[in-house]
Amino acid sequence: MLFLGAAEQGLIYGLMALGVYLSFRVLSFPDLSVDGTFPLGAAVAGILILRGFNPFLAALVGGGAGLMAGALTGVLATRLRIPGLLAGVLTMIMLYSLNLRIMGRPNLSLLGKPSVLNGLAQAISAPRGYGTVLAAGIFCAVTAVLLLLFLHTELGGAMRACGQNPDLLKSLGTNPDNLRILGLAISNGLVAFSGALVAQYSGFADVGMGVGTIVAGLASVIIGELLLRPRSLWGAILAAVGGSVAYRLAISVALRYGAAVGFTASDLRLVTALVVLAALAAPTLRAALRGESP
Amino acid sequence: MKKLLLALVVFGLIGAAKPIVIGITQIVDHPALNACRDGIIEALRRAGYIEGQNVQFIFANAQGDFSVAMAIAQDFLARGVDLVVSITTPSSQAVVQVFKDTNIPVVFSAVTDPVAAGLIGHPNVTGASDMIDVRADLELLLKVVPGLKRLGQIYNPGEVNSATLTEMTKKAAKELGIELIVVPAEGTAAVPLAAQSLLGRVDAIYCTTDNTVAAALDAVIEVSKRGKIPFLFADPTSLERGVLICTGFDYFDHGLLTGEIVLKVLRGTPPKDIPFVRQAGTKVFFNLDVAEEIGFVFSPEAKKLATGLLFGGQRFIKE
Repeated sequence: MLFLGAAEQGLIYGLMALGVYLSFRVLSFPDLSVDGTFPLGAAVAGILILRGFNPFLAALVGGGAGLMAGALTGVLATRLRIPGLLAGVLTMIMLYSLNLRIMGRPNLSLLGKPSVLNGLAQAISAPRGYGTVLAAGIFCAVTAVLLLLFLHTELGGAMRACGQNPDLLKSLGTNPDNLRILGLAISNGLVAFSGALVAQYSGFADVGMGVGTIVAGLASVIIGELLLRPRSLWGAILAAVGGSVAYRLAISVALRYGAAVGFTASDLRLVTALVVLAALAAPTLRAALRGESP
Repeated sequence: MKKLLLALVVFGLIGAAKPIVIGITQIVDHPALNACRDGIIEALRRAGYIEGQNVQFIFANAQGDFSVAMAIAQDFLARGVDLVVSITTPSSQAVVQVFKDTNIPVVFSAVTDPVAAGLIGHPNVTGASDMIDVRADLELLLKVVPGLKRLGQIYNPGEVNSATLTEMTKKAAKELGIELIVVPAEGTAAVPLAAQSLLGRVDAIYCTTDNTVAAALDAVIEVSKRGKIPFLFADPTSLERGVLICTGFDYFDHGLLTGEIVLKVLRGTPPKDIPFVRQAGTKVFFNLDVAEEIGFVFSPEAKKLATGLLFGGQRFIKE
């Protein structure tokens, strides 16, 4: 019960972590557009919910908007040969204005509006208090399985090869650019879908809610890899979600016990980073303690 | 039986000594928001709620990360706080989302438009709005700046409080026959250029309670001095920094007002019986030092409108 909130957040943001895993690990493309596509999903879903649309449909359309924005980053990076980091930044900046346009104002209140998480929790008649975490878990599990199945298709296999060895693909007559565009589209689709769910979960969409998405996403992927040491594709996907839960848990721990060891509210980011750092450094330190060279 | 009695006494003692736990959350560290928080604590202190004795505060700050605002709200709930004070709109929305199905009272503060934010209509939620009187500010400018036709405003379109006030400024300016030129600044780094873009285009500059402008205020002051443009800023604490006209209220006072609402709740009035209040008591300050510097003259009639003046580096408050 103590860290139920962290589990809820970790699973909902886990969808975002899956998106970041796809761009960062599968495509080897550090994509900063997620700071814009995350609130894009929230904005689109938010405005649709306020117009009376079904919240699941709203989240799907939000994800679809992210899909298009991700494809844009892909086109900028491949067709126009703009360096990847810059392509992501450009999309992110454009989306800031676009998100304001979509919402018409910087903040939309969704308090008391229907939420797909609540809806799903009721549909499966989840035990009281655990509805959100179960619903978020279902969304995460279904998405993870779909992503895994996709990466095992011929197209998905080519995409994995694209991140590892694009020259090989070219020699086989496949255009790696198309695969990158598709991969970035799917990645940002997942991120925007996650943003749409977070808006419904938090009761509001705000143009500022994308700040730090990429940091949280990368931290989740890396923490997950360190904690679970995945050796297979499904392990890596599980690790991204697990890492997301661990990351949110780190924030909860910092909030809960930071004050007891003399930290003030303004030290939160430092404490969170230290908890993450501890997770990252643990394997090396453990090896050193055992007297092995790292 | 003896043991049972002993247990009852012990529990009774613990019960009596157990302080009220109040969680206070805000979205960022910001002088105005911190002043607001200090005002809340001061109001409670004056009423006999002393930290560490009969009240315990848990301070939390999301440092601008909205997901942390949500984590803070959940942490408060898990820790079993007796009351939550949420400062700013996003922090309040996160708190209300988490606490709306509980009967734990929530008191929001520094929320410009609580109705649009969706905070009204929950039986356990009430609070204080920091909505300023935009129309009164424009009317003041019309009286003080002769021949005012074109007015410039810098704001961050990503800040919900500021965007609301800019919409209201547009409406009021239209009604009063003022041409409003709005320049967006999406971050503190964009404020200098936004301010410079107003040079030669406006007769006065008016900025509302925009956090981005507040953080980069010196850039706007610099432009107002260079272009000799009268500048009205809706924050009375910025007068000494070189703003010509300051209106509005001190966020410490807003904190005191919020604290009064918290006290009502602590004394047993259910939040649903306390309507949310708007901050009253707007002040008007003129900076005569800056006026001299930019060659601006406050007419004797205009001076009567001021509740206080800054002159020779010193503040004089009218009684």
